[in-house]
Amino acid sequence: MSAESSPADWKKADTRIGILFVIPFAIAALLFMVYPVIEAVRLSFYEHNPLRPEASEFIGLENFRTIFEDALFWKSFQQAAVWTFCSIVLQTLIGVSLALLLHLPLRGISIFRGLLLFPYIVPTVVIALIMQWMLNAEIGVVNWSLKSAGLIDENIYWLATPSMAMLSTIFLNVWKYTPFVTICVLARLQTIPLELYDAAKVDGAGGFRRFLDVTLPQLAEVLTVVVIFRTIWTFNKFEEIYLLTKGGPGTSTFNLAIYSFEQSVANLRMGVGAAVGVVMMFLLFAGSLIYMRVFRFDEDDTA
Amino acid sequence: MSALEFVRKTLAYAFLLLVTFLMCFPLIWALSTSLKPARDVMATPPRLIPSEVTFANYRNLILGKEQYFRADQTYVPTTAAPQHFTTWFANSVIVSAGSTLISIVISTLAAYSITRFRYWGRRIIPYFSLLGYMIPSIILVFPMFMVMSGLALTNSLWSLTFGYVSITLPFCMWLLWAFFRGIPIELEEAALMDGASRLRVFVDIVLPSALPGIIAAAIFSLIVSWNDFLFARVFINSIENLPLTVGVMHFFEGVHVDWGLMMASAVLMTLPMAVLFMLMQRHLVAGFGAGAVKG
Repeated sequence: MSAESSPADWKKADTRIGILFVIPFAIAALLFMVYPVIEAVRLSFYEHNPLRPEASEFIGLENFRTIFEDALFWKSFQQAAVWTFCSIVLQTLIGVSLALLLHLPLRGISIFRGLLLFPYIVPTVVIALIMQWMLNAEIGVVNWSLKSAGLIDENIYWLATPSMAMLSTIFLNVWKYTPFVTICVLARLQTIPLELYDAAKVDGAGGFRRFLDVTLPQLAEVLTVVVIFRTIWTFNKFEEIYLLTKGGPGTSTFNLAIYSFEQSVANLRMGVGAAVGVVMMFLLFAGSLIYMRVFRFDEDDTA
Repeated sequence: MSALEFVRKTLAYAFLLLVTFLMCFPLIWALSTSLKPARDVMATPPRLIPSEVTFANYRNLILGKEQYFRADQTYVPTTAAPQHFTTWFANSVIVSAGSTLISIVISTLAAYSITRFRYWGRRIIPYFSLLGYMIPSIILVFPMFMVMSGLALTNSLWSLTFGYVSITLPFCMWLLWAFFRGIPIELEEAALMDGASRLRVFVDIVLPSALPGIIAAAIFSLIVSWNDFLFARVFINSIENLPLTVGVMHFFEGVHVDWGLMMASAVLMTLPMAVLFMLMQRHLVAGFGAGAVKG
């Protein structure tokens, strides 16, 4: 499907049009993508107070030393890892189960599909508002339900106890992004050839065996992509935590993004905040390299 | 239908209903709270179905401005926030639509260019975009703020529009590149050989076949910019230039949080996305298929 195969004069003549078409992208990319990243890296070597920008000063690797010696940085790192791990495991398990459920050949299944995928497009702010209301310790519906079911005697302070706050942010993340896993898996399920199942049936494989032998191997690839991408993105999330707990109580739900934000905005140490950003980018590129290594996806590029 | 199959199907439906109810419960609860009269909101035991349906919360949000400046105030809000609600809503619409329009136009042209023309450097653009759309907003936001102060745009809707372009452009580019690559080139070549101009071919042949991809990219772009909190939180400091996401946080400022009002604003904020979702569900799945989703 490549353009080079057909030799025609019009092609050479209007390469100029082609370049003209890409110029807006080049300008926007330089201004809004490349420059901010370079600027973020540059800032990480400077002491920069946004209220006194003229006093900005090059300090080498001092910002990196600051964060690596800060116990809160490591605590945030650790909490981000826990948050990411729990979220991803739950999202994947629930997401795949939902996809299998939604793949059933039932009448009206498309309505259920629509409803179950809906949380993905609900704005994070809205989810955070609703959860603050439902998890409200005194008048929230969650505590009331647990109490009337006899599961708890005392109100749980969901957003004011460190472990419960962590649990709540994980819940928010799982609720919002499970549909993403479901959509990806569902799309893949629909392309598995039915013959594979028929063959397994002839071999006498039961439902569960067929899932292990046919479905799971077919899903392996999409699941790897989804898990890698979701891990990278979840690790760097800001709003999902900040809007629910602001990183609190105390610093018990800080992750690197919130740590960076607090350094830049509350402590006015934008250089330190930028250094955290550089560490995050470093981790992200490492994750992306794994993705590219796993899929070698640049080799099939024919365009 | 055998008896066994009947039992199986019934169980499947029951399970589906239960799961759907659980997944949708937060939204149902928000809707229910928003329609309750004030005395019901705090009532114990809480009721799922309001004893009486009232649209007072919605009225107070939509007519907030009018009511706030009226002399005979019958409704006294706990914070100054409700009077700004319609302004915030309009701001959100403007910046989401604006940034989506810019991102889509730029990336459509570029996607056409890199899949149909040959010149140095075109191959790296999609991969560069892929990396670009994995960079989290928290890294971009402060440098972008400096770019905006350089352009003297901070605290304006323009700053948000351009800020969102930095998030939405990379994945529109990636998605549209994947899409354009899959459009057969033969038809275009035939038209060009017949003497049609490039522009004619682009408008009459390429754009119509690229439309599903463009729609999918536009939806994702709208969702992402409608969702953003961080850029608005950093870029905007005057209350009347805020989008909804940061604006509604002002509802927490009062001594008592008016949860009914809060849930009504949550519902109104979700509504445009819900409409988009319902209209475009087909394209949405197509977009996911292309593997290009920012989340």
